[in-house]
Amino acid sequence: MKFALAPESRPLEGYTIKRAIHRGGFGEVYYALTDAGKEVALKLLHNNMEVELRGVSQCLNLKHPNLVTIFDMRQDADKDHWIIMEYVGGKGLYEVLQENPAGLPLTEVFRWLHGMTAGLSFLHDRGLVHRDLKPANVFSDADQVKIGDVGLSKYISESRRSAQTHSVGTVYYMAPEVARGRYGREVDVYSLGIILYEMITGRVPFEGETTAEILMKHLTAEPDLTVLPEKLRPVLAAALEKDPDRRISEVEELERRFRKAIEESGFAIEKPTPVYTAKTSSKKSAKALATTFLGNPHSATAFKGSGLAGKWNSASEFWNTRVPTPVKWVLCGSVLWLILRSGALQPLTAGGVIGGLAYLVYRTFFMKSPSRHATQGTAYPPRPPQPGRPEFPGAPMPAPLTAGTSQAVPVMAGVQQRSMPPAPQPLPVSAIVYTPATVRQIPASQRAADITSSLTVALAAAALVTTAVHLATDLLPDPGDVAFFGSVTLLAAWALIVPAKLWEGRLGDTFVRRLIQGSLGLGVGAVAAVLQQFLMLDETQLLQADGDGIFNGGNFGRIHVLESGLPTMAGFMMFFGLLFLVRRWWWQADSFRKSRFRISSSLVTLFLGVLLSAVMPFPEQLGAIWALAISAVVQLSSGWTPQEDRLLVPPPGSAQVVPMMAQARHPVASVPAAAGQRM
Amino acid sequence: MIPPAVDKFFPKQRATADVSECRELKWPMSTDRYMLWIDGVGAWQLCVGSQFLIGGPTLEDKSADICLMANLSRRHASLLRKGEDWFIHPHSSTVVSGRAVTGPTLLRTGDEICLAERVRLGFRIPSVLAGSALIDFESPHRPAHSVNGIILMTDSILLGSRKDHHVCCPDWPDLVVIYSQDGVLRCRSKASLTINGMRVRDSAVLSDGAIVSSDDLRFRIERLKDRQ
Repeated sequence: MKFALAPESRPLEGYTIKRAIHRGGFGEVYYALTDAGKEVALKLLHNNMEVELRGVSQCLNLKHPNLVTIFDMRQDADKDHWIIMEYVGGKGLYEVLQENPAGLPLTEVFRWLHGMTAGLSFLHDRGLVHRDLKPANVFSDADQVKIGDVGLSKYISESRRSAQTHSVGTVYYMAPEVARGRYGREVDVYSLGIILYEMITGRVPFEGETTAEILMKHLTAEPDLTVLPEKLRPVLAAALEKDPDRRISEVEELERRFRKAIEESGFAIEKPTPVYTAKTSSKKSAKALATTFLGNPHSATAFKGSGLAGKWNSASEFWNTRVPTPVKWVLCGSVLWLILRSGALQPLTAGGVIGGLAYLVYRTFFMKSPSRHATQGTAYPPRPPQPGRPEFPGAPMPAPLTAGTSQAVPVMAGVQQRSMPPAPQPLPVSAIVYTPATVRQIPASQRAADITSSLTVALAAAALVTTAVHLATDLLPDPGDVAFFGSVTLLAAWALIVPAKLWEGRLGDTFVRRLIQGSLGLGVGAVAAVLQQFLMLDETQLLQADGDGIFNGGNFGRIHVLESGLPTMAGFMMFFGLLFLVRRWWWQADSFRKSRFRISSSLVTLFLGVLLSAVMPFPEQLGAIWALAISAVVQLSSGWTPQEDRLLVPPPGSAQVVPMMAQARHPVASVPAAAGQRM
Repeated sequence: MIPPAVDKFFPKQRATADVSECRELKWPMSTDRYMLWIDGVGAWQLCVGSQFLIGGPTLEDKSADICLMANLSRRHASLLRKGEDWFIHPHSSTVVSGRAVTGPTLLRTGDEICLAERVRLGFRIPSVLAGSALIDFESPHRPAHSVNGIILMTDSILLGSRKDHHVCCPDWPDLVVIYSQDGVLRCRSKASLTINGMRVRDSAVLSDGAIVSSDDLRFRIERLKDRQ
């Protein structure tokens, strides 16, 4: 990024520029020292800003701890205007939101909200409206929240050049009536409501690829409040009301109602306290908040339209959110046990195959395929780009608006021209969901540690699962069977975990990955066959295939897959090869999978095992249980990051993500800095 | 405050055998202090040496290398580099990652140093490529002027776009290395840098006040002169 002034230059008598801070919507901002050594921020305004300067001069003598103090306004030798302001050293809300893509801890939300409310309420009391409130304008210095750019936006609308400031970053927080040229203090309430929504959920309610799209959503779309706790919905709905006359009219009212709603929700509220004493408590409430606020956002917002999908959705939401995990285990275990005991495995499988085929046909021919964007992970958090941030290196300057047309249209049109940002990455429109497809950077050491620990845990998991199978079914009567089953399960899990962990966070072709898995499966099958010979499990019931599958006499083409009722090496290799080939196993081992142990994943794998052993001459119950056991071991032993701890380390060279600064450890934010890459 | 008796329950497993040498602190230490002003990124205090004293504000000529506006003694604790390891040598109340320490203690990356109960500093060795360490501020206590952090430079420091660089400059396309050779700071990079407008061929000396720039970056190094 190029800045106009070099370090050590002295554009104004008595001030020495030390470094450039950033380029904001109004001009460049520098850090400077006075001759005596006081640090200040110097803002060099773009040319032709005289109208705006009237706003600043009005605010010159405002004093409030939550507003960035303006010391003076000067002109340099080139007649450029400078604003001399208090230097605010801490992190801005923009950076804090970047570092917490899933939302802030509750105590932090309160701290920011309280500071912003106090500052805005002071401004409103003096008859002023900020009009440009956004995270990039809000800072925190030594735990004191400060609102910046006060007075700068005051007269924007009266200037026809105004649209200059309406770059993409601003419109995320812009009230709908601004398009009609109406600027009451309700504008600030609306912006504060949007910021509040973003602090809670980690994303803004109205997103879009173009400025026009976002503006249109402000005007017409209803915010999705279902991602919020129930008690908060009416509060945010009232703050984000389209009609300013029906909106909450005062910022204190918004804070009061928010506080009340949180109290009613049963969260313990702490007064904002100095960070170095509130560390542990904020951690707790952050956890509580994360689990409640972000219970399962996408299940609620997924496609609700079609009847079948809607019912399935509500059922799965009920299953996912309401049924406690131990109950799920008991239910699934007993159903499985019943199926295996009653001998209904084969009919059920046949039914499943037919039903699945029927649904496939139905989906192919009668349903439009629902958009699956929620599962398309993206490497970029949903933060909107802000003006003056590095992601818009060469943002084209806007064409001046023509005066005299109707009010709403020119803003939109003018903005749309600019809204073809040169941003190379598309902005995600949907809620951010980190999935195993999310590309992320994992240091090699982290990866190695993850692999070793997963492999070690797999030992215990395999032992556990084998014991469970031994106790629950009569498949493994002899110690030899147990050893055979357990060691093959462990080997299979290892063969799946290692590549999965190597692929984690990387882009890769699904087809190639499946092929690699398939060939590893062939290897596992071969080892299983050798092990069977070694353990001399010829007589055992375990491996007696009860049928020939769909093959004639145990032959598949010229390959002999069954010999005297036992699978041959080719049979083993084919079973494991297909089992590994068909499933997307690396999703089951990824740290960003949906939950540590997903019963539905295991059931699909079980189903695949049943299917494979039904069409192949492979022992049927063994095939099913083996598939299930491998899935269970892989999921239980692979490292997993809870949803609220998922953070991305940006891929190198990506400008969209602003990585954490060197002070990565935020004092209160309890999200572990290294999450996303931990074991 | 954690009573010193705690040490009975936690014997000094963290300190290594090399402790006796650490006790021999020589004063004054030869530490050079610089400011690193980086456009669009921030400001860092750069301390070059192998022993660094942390202390509170003083009106005397000689302040601590890391002089914090905090209620600390003038000589509160020292950070030392011995071989490949970093040690903290407490002269006054010091807690390392929750454990009160009284003697030289090995520091590991990620440790939290708590001085006089209220001043919390983070200690990191960001890169395996260089032994230099980084001090982050975890409580509001800072030096007299705003800095993002303090770099304790023993051999070299890395400035680049990654989080495991000493200074993470998100938009820099190339790594810039600052290293100390024969008591002189030098700088090199794959990028075509200029120092005070002169092209850098391979590496170049960073003199006091040098402005290093390329198409994508600019920073200035300034020697701190407020003490002898």
